[in-house]
Amino acid sequence: MMDRASAADSLEVLRLGHVPYAEALALQEDLRARLGRGEAAETILLLEHPDVITYGSAAKDGNTLQSDTDLRRLGYEVFRVNRGGDVTWHGPGQLVGYPLLDLERHGADVHRYLRALEGALIRALADFGIDARRREGYAGVWLDERRKIASIGVGLRRWLTLHGFALNVNCDLARFDVIVPCGLSGVRMVSMASVLGHDLDFARVTDCVEDALRKAFA
Amino acid sequence: MPKLIRMPKLSDTMEEGRLIAWRKKVGDSVKRGEVIAEIETDKADMEFEAYTEGVVAQIVVEAGATVPVGTLIAVLRLPGESEDAVSAATPAAQPQAAPAAAPARPAAAAAVSKAPAGAPRVAAAPGAGAAQIPLPARVSGERVQAPLVDDEGRIRATPRARRMAEEKSIDLVEVTGTGAGGAILVADLEAYLAELTAQEPEADGTRATPLALRMASETGTDLEGVKGSGPGGRITKSDLLEHWKREKTVGKEREAVLFRGALQLSQKRKALIRNMVRSKAEAPHFYVEMDVSTDALREVRDQANRDAGDKRARLTYTHLMIKACALALEKFPTVNATFRAEENDIAIFDAINIGLAVDVQDELVAPTVKDCQGKSVWQLAEEANSLIQRARMRKLQPADYADGTFTISNLGMFGVDRFYAIITPPQSSILAVSAIAERPVVRSGRIEIGTMTTLGLSVDHRVLDGVRASQFLAEIKRLLEAPRELVHDGQSFGS
Repeated sequence: MMDRASAADSLEVLRLGHVPYAEALALQEDLRARLGRGEAAETILLLEHPDVITYGSAAKDGNTLQSDTDLRRLGYEVFRVNRGGDVTWHGPGQLVGYPLLDLERHGADVHRYLRALEGALIRALADFGIDARRREGYAGVWLDERRKIASIGVGLRRWLTLHGFALNVNCDLARFDVIVPCGLSGVRMVSMASVLGHDLDFARVTDCVEDALRKAFA
Repeated sequence: MPKLIRMPKLSDTMEEGRLIAWRKKVGDSVKRGEVIAEIETDKADMEFEAYTEGVVAQIVVEAGATVPVGTLIAVLRLPGESEDAVSAATPAAQPQAAPAAAPARPAAAAAVSKAPAGAPRVAAAPGAGAAQIPLPARVSGERVQAPLVDDEGRIRATPRARRMAEEKSIDLVEVTGTGAGGAILVADLEAYLAELTAQEPEADGTRATPLALRMASETGTDLEGVKGSGPGGRITKSDLLEHWKREKTVGKEREAVLFRGALQLSQKRKALIRNMVRSKAEAPHFYVEMDVSTDALREVRDQANRDAGDKRARLTYTHLMIKACALALEKFPTVNATFRAEENDIAIFDAINIGLAVDVQDELVAPTVKDCQGKSVWQLAEEANSLIQRARMRKLQPADYADGTFTISNLGMFGVDRFYAIITPPQSSILAVSAIAERPVVRSGRIEIGTMTTLGLSVDHRVLDGVRASQFLAEIKRLLEAPRELVHDGQSFGS
């Protein structure tokens, strides 16, 4: 068990700044492959994306209000990816985290992993006085039944994780509008800035999230 | 033994998983570590790998279905195994999979059922069936266990017994071996023949071995037309398996001319079909339609949302539409009514319960917002959102869609310009809401651009006449075009 513990201890957190989606995806896949071969440590990527819409496996095309062509014209990149969940948006002012972990070192339990991610974000938000919580049956981090502040969607192969979470920090919430199903979703995205009424120091938020993730997974 | 692949348990708390997609099809060979399927639970997708090398012999659960953990989802034939080994092994190893196959919920994708009578009812991917062998899954009895085979894949028997079986046309599959390692001896063949001789001939003259007879009766197979190759021309188990395989191929070819497949109906779909037929057969529908300007509606919605800030869920056109209908129904109680054939009267509902037609993965449900009278638009919005979310999670309870007295159907998000819906019995009417879009409008002799929608009301003529229906629809139009009332009404009672 000692070797496993020491391997898990060597969790690396890379803060990458602004990274295009395709580039980050390629990096994730490369790191995960190397993790699987034992050539890389468990790694968490923390970054921001330019405007992008991604569809998870549960997404139906009807959940965007625009066609891919229209979305591209509006300045969004569009991707379809192997992660759980529906359609989502990433973009400037949103902290995106991609943990590349071997879940066999963390209990080999998908749900426990999702709950741990949520727990870490909830702890980080508490540092800023934001009282966030889980919502039964809906992965992600919520303020209440209707307001969601962070999204979660992961992919697994041989217990090696891909994708992760997106925490709204200072982002322009109107950029989510193209994916709100017409009048029926009833859920609104909020950000730390919209809740607190002022913009936040992105680096400080990243510090707190990094700390919480290290506590959860190192 | 072929490898039985089951829905994996990816978490202590995982009860069921959705099969997102198969990466392999029947007949594909699979290497160890290759991804054969993608599986989803909660917000996590798992690429599911094969742990052994083999060939996909069967796909039991098709893409799109959600099944409990442990459900048999596919069968892998190991290198060197014959197809018969799959057919022999699967039923014996499947006891817990039989109930599990039934609750497989075909979600968006449809379960395609082409299996002949008696074969297990499995949802198979279209085109995956060719190599699939109909399994006598329900055949009971110890004698249907996988026969013991030798290194060459032949059923274990002594050379003399094998010669004798050939001479007497005995199907070794049917004989229980008592020799070393389960090998069939001459004595076993003699005992088997004695059993056949003692057998009473069937009333209709068909001749089959006791095992084949039992399999046929348990699977409901008609033995007429099945060619027998056993002793005295008897039909044997192998003949029956061969017959099933052929019947399936022929049936498939015949069906393929007309259909690509067939969708199995969910209980909800069956109920919907009954209701819609009943409605069109019993309720004489007529229709009225009005164009409604939505410029003011948007202003009021946006203003209300700005005022509310982050404190409340966002108000939508749907919420305002519910509020408008609630107010209009309050004003016109005879619309909130039903024709009762038995009493031969028109009964007016006490409550105003507004149903919202929602499409959830190709299934239509209409959860109802209960007791709308006196509730503020915010309260209605909250209740509607909660219902719609539960509908999307497929968590609606029967009470959630019971007791509707009026229904709103909105196809606006699909760009529909105008349409009419079928009334949900026992209600008197249903409102069809179309897309909100910019249109040229004439105002005081000038053509201007305004945002408009078209409302179509379907009405049961037994309950209402044209005049009352027009007044009711005009009231909805009035409320939507002067919408302050929608936001302010009921505020003191609201949240």
